[in-house]
Amino acid sequence: MPTEVYQALNTSEQGLSEQEAQQRLKTCGRNELPTHVFSMAQVLLRQFKNPIFAILIACAVVAGVFSELKQAIIILSMIVLSVILGFYNEYKAEKIVENLRQNVSIKAIVVRGGKSSQIDSKLLVPGDLVSVYVGDVIPADMRIVKSKDLQTDEATFTGESFPVEKTSNRLELEAPMPQQLTNYLFMGTAVTHGSGLGVVISTGKNTELGTISKSLVRSHPETEFQKGVKKYGNMLLTLTGALTIGIFSLNFAVGHYWLDSLLFSLAVAVGLVPEMMPAIITISLAQGAGKMAKVKVIVKRLVSIEDFGNMDILCTDKTGTLTEGKIALSDCQALGEEMDPRILDYSLLCNSAVVGENIVGNPMDVAIWEYVIKKDAQHEVDSYTKVDEIPFDYQRRIMSVVVRKDDEYILISKGAPESILSRCIYADISGRIEPIEAVAEAINTKFSTLSQLGYRLLAVACRTVNSGGSYSVEDEADLTLLGFLIFTDPPKKDAHQAVTRLKEMGVDVKILTGDNELVAKTICEELKIPIKKIVCGADLTQMSWTEIKTVVEETTIFARITPEQKLDLIKALKANKHVVGYVGDGVNDAPALYEADVGISVDTAVDVAKEAADIVLLEKDLLVLADGINEGRKIFGNTMKYILMGTSSNFGNMFSAAAASVFLPFLPMLPMQILFMNLLYDVANMTLPTDNVDEEYIKYPKRWDIGFVRKYTLFFGPFSSLYDFLTYGIMLFIFNASTPALAPLFQSGWFVESFWTEVLVIFVIRTRRIPFFTSRPGKWLTLLTLSCVAIGTIIPFTIFGSALGFTPLPPEYWGLLVLMVATYLLLVDAGKVFFYKICKFGGSDR
Amino acid sequence: MNDLALFNWWAISITAGSIFLTLVSIYLYADSRANHRENIRAHASVASLVRTFVFVWILLGLLVFYIVSVHLGSAYIFAAGNIIVEAILVTYLIRNRTDKSEHT
Repeated sequence: MPTEVYQALNTSEQGLSEQEAQQRLKTCGRNELPTHVFSMAQVLLRQFKNPIFAILIACAVVAGVFSELKQAIIILSMIVLSVILGFYNEYKAEKIVENLRQNVSIKAIVVRGGKSSQIDSKLLVPGDLVSVYVGDVIPADMRIVKSKDLQTDEATFTGESFPVEKTSNRLELEAPMPQQLTNYLFMGTAVTHGSGLGVVISTGKNTELGTISKSLVRSHPETEFQKGVKKYGNMLLTLTGALTIGIFSLNFAVGHYWLDSLLFSLAVAVGLVPEMMPAIITISLAQGAGKMAKVKVIVKRLVSIEDFGNMDILCTDKTGTLTEGKIALSDCQALGEEMDPRILDYSLLCNSAVVGENIVGNPMDVAIWEYVIKKDAQHEVDSYTKVDEIPFDYQRRIMSVVVRKDDEYILISKGAPESILSRCIYADISGRIEPIEAVAEAINTKFSTLSQLGYRLLAVACRTVNSGGSYSVEDEADLTLLGFLIFTDPPKKDAHQAVTRLKEMGVDVKILTGDNELVAKTICEELKIPIKKIVCGADLTQMSWTEIKTVVEETTIFARITPEQKLDLIKALKANKHVVGYVGDGVNDAPALYEADVGISVDTAVDVAKEAADIVLLEKDLLVLADGINEGRKIFGNTMKYILMGTSSNFGNMFSAAAASVFLPFLPMLPMQILFMNLLYDVANMTLPTDNVDEEYIKYPKRWDIGFVRKYTLFFGPFSSLYDFLTYGIMLFIFNASTPALAPLFQSGWFVESFWTEVLVIFVIRTRRIPFFTSRPGKWLTLLTLSCVAIGTIIPFTIFGSALGFTPLPPEYWGLLVLMVATYLLLVDAGKVFFYKICKFGGSDR
Repeated sequence: MNDLALFNWWAISITAGSIFLTLVSIYLYADSRANHRENIRAHASVASLVRTFVFVWILLGLLVFYIVSVHLGSAYIFAAGNIIVEAILVTYLIRNRTDKSEHT
């Protein structure tokens, strides 16, 4: 039957030749889904989704309709410039993320030219022979040619929540539904049990997943930060709407020309809304992702960066994060005094690792082979012939093989000591076969002692079986225990330092492990991690949801827990208002990775885990994680700066413009002047993502707090308005610009003051330090901001300035301006003393 | 609108803005005390109120100075007054500067 499949795809049980595979890759293309591709058009269209552009376009149309062509053209130019600026940065950001994603590759074990090797799954072609094991994500649509207790999770594909059994059997179905194809493996589904070999039928967009990929794009819930930004946007839009209607009505009521009033009120609305915020956030995130990549942290989902920085609880399995994660076989221990060479031989035979150029597969099985290679240990594996295999699964925690040596058929079982012992009736002690009960106590003591020391044990047992026939899990009984394989996964040298650093950063580490409590406790003690409480999975099952929510706060180690319990613990922590990170690399970690606010996996993790994760570490190291968290906090800090500036200086300016428009005999600033100022302000802010963030700001996790933003706006917004009013007074009563004929002088004076205060206050607001100049701003922010101030200063003297309605300002003005702006900046800094030191706000955005 | 009426409008606007900011300061202070559950009475002495609201006194002082100098229409008085206020603010900021120990 496989022969038919091979023939249909012009391949064989040796797989394709490398040359043929390359040829097919050229014809069929890479095995990628189209959904990951983004286009320039998409990014461009996204720029117009911002409602502010609708307002601007409406403004331009109104101006155009009423013969204000010059004004309409300027407004349209502003739109184009804003869109180009936003598009350029967002497209660049998308490209950076795309490049970073490329670094996280899913591997497939493929047979080509008769040899097994691991390749990037993107290089698979129809006709390739692919081996799949527990934990693998199926890399392409495949027809099964060989299977052993194979089951897959097709929940993402068919909605079926129970694993589906898969075999290589031929099916006689007419027009079958995908879920009826039990001899097919579908791309994107996961192996939950057993192993198999399949021939790739279709790749990339031609797979079933490819055709329905749109519906399979995983929609992550909104992050804490996204929710916060949305709330903030809604708050601002409501405020803008009310203010725009109010300004128009008042201006119209006091007798201003209705069209001027309309255009002015719309321009004020534009001035209020931080239309560059999405671009600023994207740039911040993409730059942050780039920096994180340098510390070997790959961000798969950009928006998760902020939650990464805000995370205050990190749940981790101890393996690989607190320990080396590289399990090494340290000894093969027989039950008696003498060495038993069968233990090593049998563990090499009962082994799922694929030995090729590299050794891949289950880490413990790999460790056994690495032990043999490293120690150049003698073995007699070649004298055995493998007859059958009963693969490992999480329920039995055993793997078995049947081998033949001469005429003897031997079933070898290797697995968790508890599981093996329960299937043993004898023990082999230096050649003497004794009932297991006779040595059970000694074995249990040994197991307990070694476990306490942090060792991991696998037991090896065997029995002779009848030749021929099929073997199953029922045959794993009446075994004779031979001995133990002792593995060690020592604590990492820098794990203590990493945990201490995370603690100092306000991140509490909790250990969620399937291992027993003794192992977890020993590791914690070696690493000097204070243990508040240890809770076992069995205890958790007895608890109510309320009790779990309480216990999760008090406990450091959760031992012997199931994947479902991991999920419950993460849900409980989230319900307790924590931002939860989860580090995991196994199939059983995937639900927890998805549920956590920040799912963190490693490049060596199983594909399911990597798929579910938001962030992938190229090195499984908590110190790397701490660096990533720092980066996330910096990004959050810089984004907050933009928001706080937008709501204080910008809001203050527009509010004073609105108030002045009522009592002045002319508009305090023309709509196009407001638009130009707004654009220049946005340009000044473009380098904000590169700004330095104070060390004390990134010391603890931060939380989005709309209440804090409101208070900040309420307090710092009026400062800007006061100085605008002061400028009105100076222009009206010192420079006597109080008549419509001198409106350009008034408007120029206010434009320059308004722009200076709006932009220069960045240096005060960007830090909580007092005085502000004790915090060093980023060089690019300083350079661009001062350049924009220079442009805003010389504009009234240029032809472009005349076109905008400006006029040169008298020399005395500049002296007063410098003094006035200096007082303003110092007063805002004094306001920080009141706001942060006396009222102690600012802890609230944690 | 004649200049006097315009000046009155302007003075009312800037005064309203300053009073608004003062009221916001009082509200925020009361809110922060409530959040931190501190004894409000302990902070209610005249001396402590003076210390707490130094920023508000500076603000109100500035308001009076700005209205007077703008009413006089003198750029020199305006400039001189600003320099004095800046000196006061710098002193205030230095006295309340962030400790270096808080930087890390």
